[in-house]
Amino acid sequence: MSRLNERFTKLYKIGLVITFAYFLLVLFYDIHNLGTDRKRYLSEHYISQGVQETGATNLVASVLYDYRAFDTLGEATMILTAATVLAFLVPITKATMFGTPFKSIVNQTVKLIIPYIAVLGAYLILFGHISPGGGFVGGVVLSIIAILLTLTYSVEFSEYIFKPDQKKFIEDIGAIGFVLLGLLGIFTGSNFLSNGQANFGTGNAGEVFSAGLMPFINLMIGLKVSAGLAIIFNSLIKEK
Amino acid sequence: MEIAYVAVIILFCLGMYTIITKKNLIKIVIGITIVESSLILLLMLVGYKPGGTAPILDKRYEIVVDPITQALALTTIVIGGSVTAVMLAMVIKLHKRYRTLNIDEIRKLRG
Amino acid sequence: MELAVWVIILPLLTAFSLGISKLYFKKIFFKLVIGSAILYLYLLILVITTSYPPKVYSIGQWGLLGINLMVDPLSALFLLIIALLFLPFIIFSMKYTKCIKHDYFIFSYLMVAGISGMVLTTDLFNLYVFMEVSSLSSCALSLYKKTDRGIEGTFKYLIMSTFGSFFILLATILTYYLTGTLNMAEISLAFEDTPFTIKSTIMAFFVFGYAIKIGLLPMHAWLPDAYEDSPIPYNVLSSGLVMKSAVYALIRGLYIMFGIDFLDESGLLTIVVFWGVITFITAHCLAFQQSNLNRLLAYSTIAQIAYIMIGLFVGTEAGLIAGSFHILNHAIMKGTLFFVVGIFNYSLAAVEIEDIKGLGYKFPILSFTFVVGSLAIVGLPPFNGFMSKWLIVEAALEAGFTYAAFFILVGTFLSLTYYLKVIVTLYTKNEKPLLIEEAGLSLKLPTIFLGSLCIVFGIVPSLPLHLITKIPTFLLDNGDYIRILIGG
Repeated sequence: MSRLNERFTKLYKIGLVITFAYFLLVLFYDIHNLGTDRKRYLSEHYISQGVQETGATNLVASVLYDYRAFDTLGEATMILTAATVLAFLVPITKATMFGTPFKSIVNQTVKLIIPYIAVLGAYLILFGHISPGGGFVGGVVLSIIAILLTLTYSVEFSEYIFKPDQKKFIEDIGAIGFVLLGLLGIFTGSNFLSNGQANFGTGNAGEVFSAGLMPFINLMIGLKVSAGLAIIFNSLIKEK
Repeated sequence: MEIAYVAVIILFCLGMYTIITKKNLIKIVIGITIVESSLILLLMLVGYKPGGTAPILDKRYEIVVDPITQALALTTIVIGGSVTAVMLAMVIKLHKRYRTLNIDEIRKLRG
Repeated sequence: MELAVWVIILPLLTAFSLGISKLYFKKIFFKLVIGSAILYLYLLILVITTSYPPKVYSIGQWGLLGINLMVDPLSALFLLIIALLFLPFIIFSMKYTKCIKHDYFIFSYLMVAGISGMVLTTDLFNLYVFMEVSSLSSCALSLYKKTDRGIEGTFKYLIMSTFGSFFILLATILTYYLTGTLNMAEISLAFEDTPFTIKSTIMAFFVFGYAIKIGLLPMHAWLPDAYEDSPIPYNVLSSGLVMKSAVYALIRGLYIMFGIDFLDESGLLTIVVFWGVITFITAHCLAFQQSNLNRLLAYSTIAQIAYIMIGLFVGTEAGLIAGSFHILNHAIMKGTLFFVVGIFNYSLAAVEIEDIKGLGYKFPILSFTFVVGSLAIVGLPPFNGFMSKWLIVEAALEAGFTYAAFFILVGTFLSLTYYLKVIVTLYTKNEKPLLIEEAGLSLKLPTIFLGSLCIVFGIVPSLPLHLITKIPTFLLDNGDYIRILIGG
């Protein structure tokens, strides 16, 4: 009897999901048929004027760090919150070994790879506004250094090289730096997180030192994300 | 192009099905990430233009896709990643306490 | 309106610097917490007093190209709730969290930053981002005790809240797809020539997503579990602010983007009022069976928020005033009750109703405050709960929802039964000697402050109503709001 009941519940749930899928299909179909003359003035404006207004050739970066930089602030806060939650759920003192010792080939290769990763990460962060990349991507690449150390050697070694307190400190510095860079706009008589309007010099689009504050914001985000992800990964590994 | 919308629907509903039927905590988290990736795919599709390239204007391409949705997608990925990390940490904690991942058994042990 | 942005930046900056202070400057940590809370209170008062007429603050001076903040009377009401609850919360938590850990305050500041961001922003995606910030940090506070039940309840909370966010995000993306913008005013203008079916479907996604976060009927089960084993001061902020911020986002989105005419036409008003009635009747019945004080208050929160939804969705000016007034009142009343329960919990680890037997004679003032709070929440005359509930009933009658008005009266009796149960237990003589750890002044002061507000707002309701009566102007006729936002 209970088995029958279970099957019925399952069928009911499948029916629910399929109905919802059909519903979505109809909705998408309707919207798609509608949209021959969709108004897209916002993205048109960004594409046609974005480079002049912000000085960054990477339009995604100009949206992320200039037009909608406030979203990015919230996003950075999310990573900080997640890292803080994980560091708080798993006390720093306790670290258990993460099994599998590797052959020396792996260890040596990792040693060789790490400088290249560091260079790649730095490149992605610093050139974020003129080429694909940016603070988030570069930060993820940088955090791979700590993650590789954890995986090939051990959590202890990784935390010996990058102390948890230092990582936390770097993360907070990144977040505070972002807010302070935003406040520069207010101190120069403009609005929060303003860049081109507050005469921070958008420069020649395509050069490294262009786009006003954008490279610095990228740097802050990069620091923050790399430290945050390293904390998150190490905390998840430590919890055994 | 149109077929990709069907993919969004399939992924979204698959994720929802996983969340509402599965008993395993890890599988629920996987369901959450599936739904999230379907929404990221939807964002990409919304900003897509036929023949468009990445929105980096270095004078080589004429048509670029909508930069806003790309930025929104990045935000969504980061938010989803943070939430998933917290969820996984909680799953690990729960597994450590109850020695099981089945949500029914956890409820039973909890009393 | 230069100050509006500081309402978001200050708690964020405080949270980040607390992170550094925790590592290297432990001595100034608590000074920083208190100092920042006092500064924040001052800031909020400044912003609230200048909230009318509404002004727009453009982040990065991009105007309509970027993200705008706007303080209108509805946002000012939420800022007022933050102002009333946050400093008492901080003072109470200082003492309450026995083996005090620093992360607690970091999470509280992040949560308040998220909520104030939600309340001030006029951008749909920005709203989503700040909602996630507030819900993730709220989860962090909810699992703060790291007990089995706490983690399990929080896991459920996080899953449900994320599930709701996905629907909201889906609706946001579709809105962007249709209109090509994320600014609420422009969306509202662009929605005018959108077909009815598409518009109502998107609205359904918004409503479903927020209904999970608000805790309407079939999706309410996460709330009592999340409250059961969480630090009690957190429950004050959660029921007073986190749940309400979802209500705010729903109201803001629906009334501004879709407009009252569309809500009426699509039948949403009738549906939500009916949904609310079912929710509070069920929640009252469930609350009656609880033996745990936290769970009882959690179910009571679900019921009270259903009242708020009824008030806000009858679709008249009186209804909006009544609902907004009840938002404020419920935050105060539930705050009082949770603070008293928190003190009982602190003094003798009481969580069950049985445990508080006979405490009425040991803690005369606190028990009296509890009685005041519970009578106010039931809706008896001299207190503030009566005022707003009466206004809701009146508005429902006026708008033709006679059954809703009738069931609110029934609900009042239902809630009276279970609150009386608690009060009677409180004043039953208990022979057992009790081991009591004396509650300090820093615990009692916030409690008595909120308890006295229950009486003050009951006797002089014109005090908050002065602010609240301006709310419907910008919601019922969204033209003004749109004009200010686009013009600014």
